[in-house]
Amino acid sequence: MPRLFYPKLALGSIKRHRQIYGPYLGASSAMVGMFYMIMFLAANSGLSSMPGSRTLKELFNFGAVVVALFAAVFLFYTNSFLMKRRKRELGLYNVLGMEKRHIARILGWETLFTALFSLAAGLGGGTLLSKLIFLLVARILDFPISIGFEVPRLAVLTTLQLFGALFVVILVSSLSQVGMAKPIELLKSEAAGEREPRARWLLALLGLVSLGCGYYLALAIEHPLDALVFFLVAVVLVMIGTYLLFTTGSIALLKLLRKNKRLYYRPKPFIAISGMLYRMKQNGVGLANICILSTMVLVTLSTTISLYVGIEDVLRTRYPREVVLAVDSYAPEVVEMVRTTALSALERHGLKAEELVEYRLLSFLVFQDGDRFVRETGAAGAPLGGTHSLDFIPLEDYNRLVEEQVTLGENEVLVFAIGGAYGHAALKFLDWSFVVKEELEDLPAGGLSSTQSLGSYYVVVRDPGIMEALLQHPTLQGSRGAYTGYKLGFDLDTSREQALALYRDLKETLSLQEEAFTMVESREAAREDFLVLYGGLFFLGIFLGTLFMLGTVLIIYYKQITEGYEDRRRYVILRQVGMSSSEVKGSIKSQVLSVFYLPLAVAAVHVAFSFPMVTKVLVVFNLTDKGLFALCTAATFAAFAMLYALVYRATTRVYYRIAAAP
Amino acid sequence: MYLLEVKNLRKVYTTRFGGAKVEALRSVSFTMEKGEYTAVMGESGAGKTTLLNILAALDRPTSGEVILGGKQLSDLKDQELAAFRRSNLGFVFQDFNLLPTFSLKDNILLPLVLAGESYAEMENRLQPLTRKLGISQVLAKFPYEVSGGEQQRAAIARALITYPQLVLADEPTGALDSRSSDSLLRLFGEINEAGQTILMVTHSVKAASHAKRVLFIKDGEIFHQLYRGSLSIPEMYERIADTLTLLAAGGDLHA
Repeated sequence: MPRLFYPKLALGSIKRHRQIYGPYLGASSAMVGMFYMIMFLAANSGLSSMPGSRTLKELFNFGAVVVALFAAVFLFYTNSFLMKRRKRELGLYNVLGMEKRHIARILGWETLFTALFSLAAGLGGGTLLSKLIFLLVARILDFPISIGFEVPRLAVLTTLQLFGALFVVILVSSLSQVGMAKPIELLKSEAAGEREPRARWLLALLGLVSLGCGYYLALAIEHPLDALVFFLVAVVLVMIGTYLLFTTGSIALLKLLRKNKRLYYRPKPFIAISGMLYRMKQNGVGLANICILSTMVLVTLSTTISLYVGIEDVLRTRYPREVVLAVDSYAPEVVEMVRTTALSALERHGLKAEELVEYRLLSFLVFQDGDRFVRETGAAGAPLGGTHSLDFIPLEDYNRLVEEQVTLGENEVLVFAIGGAYGHAALKFLDWSFVVKEELEDLPAGGLSSTQSLGSYYVVVRDPGIMEALLQHPTLQGSRGAYTGYKLGFDLDTSREQALALYRDLKETLSLQEEAFTMVESREAAREDFLVLYGGLFFLGIFLGTLFMLGTVLIIYYKQITEGYEDRRRYVILRQVGMSSSEVKGSIKSQVLSVFYLPLAVAAVHVAFSFPMVTKVLVVFNLTDKGLFALCTAATFAAFAMLYALVYRATTRVYYRIAAAP
Repeated sequence: MYLLEVKNLRKVYTTRFGGAKVEALRSVSFTMEKGEYTAVMGESGAGKTTLLNILAALDRPTSGEVILGGKQLSDLKDQELAAFRRSNLGFVFQDFNLLPTFSLKDNILLPLVLAGESYAEMENRLQPLTRKLGISQVLAKFPYEVSGGEQQRAAIARALITYPQLVLADEPTGALDSRSSDSLLRLFGEINEAGQTILMVTHSVKAASHAKRVLFIKDGEIFHQLYRGSLSIPEMYERIADTLTLLAAGGDLHA
């Protein structure tokens, strides 16, 4: 036997099956390349010089884990597809006298070639593209960098180890498949599985319920923090629902349609319903995968894009004024100290405060129960949504804020609810029962509230004495949970550098004060941190979005090929029974079309239902611009649908070449 | 008037790269009258399947004519051909060619559904036909759930349900065991007795011996033919076997 018999046989069989091997090699190379690139970014020395590089590295490491998991699942999936197509050939080798160990040697060589090719192409391509991707990150983060060419050893080693191990595991799984099968099973394996699918009503119903619950959660949740907590629950429910509905629900529905004889026994429905039944059985899982991947791509991209594009909105929401000083006491001498420090610093820098806002407040963390507020949660594990911050502001400060002369009666209050409405005529807290004179539409600068994820009520009371009495209430003695404070915020009409200089000066000066602890926040100082976080997320969104797209495309491609081979026989029979070839083509085309666009349509529905929930999650990230998010979602969907249609056209050509071959 | 007229049929296949030309049919002419039961015999590669495909209008001849029920097949457009095939021809194949996605009942009804018949009419035709073929008990089952004999009966029911002028059978006993073969051939005889015209292509002597007339095809030409007349089936079997021996020995017979 020639020395290179097995390697040659393996190489020849890869070449012969290039229609299915080509995309597999391409995809595995791309996975290797992408994993290398994200590792490159995480290990890159150029990034370390950047402010916030720790956040970035954490993001990239997270990305690397996602890529690794995805690559593992994906390479397994495609390999199982390859093995299914090739069992006949391997069975033939077996029948022709090759022993299982010889077949194992062929498979071993094939895997070796595949692994070598993918690693070489992936690492090569990754290295070439790594500089480009680095520049892209720098561009997104608005960070000037100049680096030379770099190949981090750690990135290369990790890539080699991960994918080396993956290919070994894949080989073992292929070998065990061959090892267990009898030759005749190998020969016939492709013909198996033409059984009529059974309708499993219970599972279908379960899928419907699961999807319904997921949708309900997405729609019903009001509070941003709850949205954050329940988002994952909703995602899991919708995923379960999608899988069950695609696999069993579709079959149950089609069977129901088939029972209606007047509908079913007409030319088009007859072919379509039976054909779809068969297709859904074969492709249910694949279609559900496509649907979920598409939804993931859409949600990831639309959220990260809106966060990045809406970064100004985020900053303005998080920091209502350019500079905000907050001190944890409203004692007159403290207030005076903070105010004079701020004014003198402004003077030193030759700047003028604009849109100045200041007020004293007393804040409680409370649970709401109608028009009553309590300080402890009634039942354990009450939803986060019940938590509110109740902030009392004296009337004189309010009047200064709005530049008006409002008067209040003894027990009267004004109420302002952030991001909602209060809607009660009274407000009861501790021993007090206030009468709501008016619910305010607006409060300048949102009351300098630093975050909107916790629902806040502002309560304007007639005089500071009430606040003092609240604070002195016996049940409060010795316990935490009441916070007194004074806030001062203003905008500046100046350059970024000047604003930063003032911020540093203020911070320095106030940290020397021993009377009270003062927090200084500056929008400009925070901009960089936000840019790093949201820019990093944005980059990761695009990166992972591309990866998921790649997966989607490949699943679609293999689905088309499988169907092509299976439909071929049906074509021939239908023609013999009296359909013209154009009718057959038309009917199969409409089936392929509906099967193909079904996942996209369902993904669109998922995205639509997720919209209210994701909007609330984004509020936690300080993005309140719903219009922007809607726009980003729509644009992402349009771009994705276009790409999807392109893939459809390209792969359908392959399908027809197989199915309609004479 | 003949039901089927085949005149000087010639079919040349060109290999994919335009090189060698293969003459599958050289010159085939014969006629069939209504109610006939004819078998076409020949070895593999003699041109039997090509002939059947042309008769079925699935393939077009290089030259020559096929006239079925007064209609010249080459005059029909692709769209008309499909409808013509649906209403005038019934097919029975060696490997049954039932669609795995349909129950036996739906497989049988397929041509009627395509022709746009009403469901009531379908039921009317289905009942007596399947009772006669002995498959009324298994109609709800799927092809993979029943025996080869039952699958072939379903295929016959599908061929007959349109009341076609001509039933074309391609090696109908090829995939059946001997008991199923016998009962199938008896069935063909009965169907023919009831007035159905049948053209069967086979290389099984036993199958051919049930026909009323046997055409022998060799190297793309009709080589010889036999009429059963008053012969019994075993006698016919011997006559055919003798003819085949002569054929194989390269003898020179003429129709």
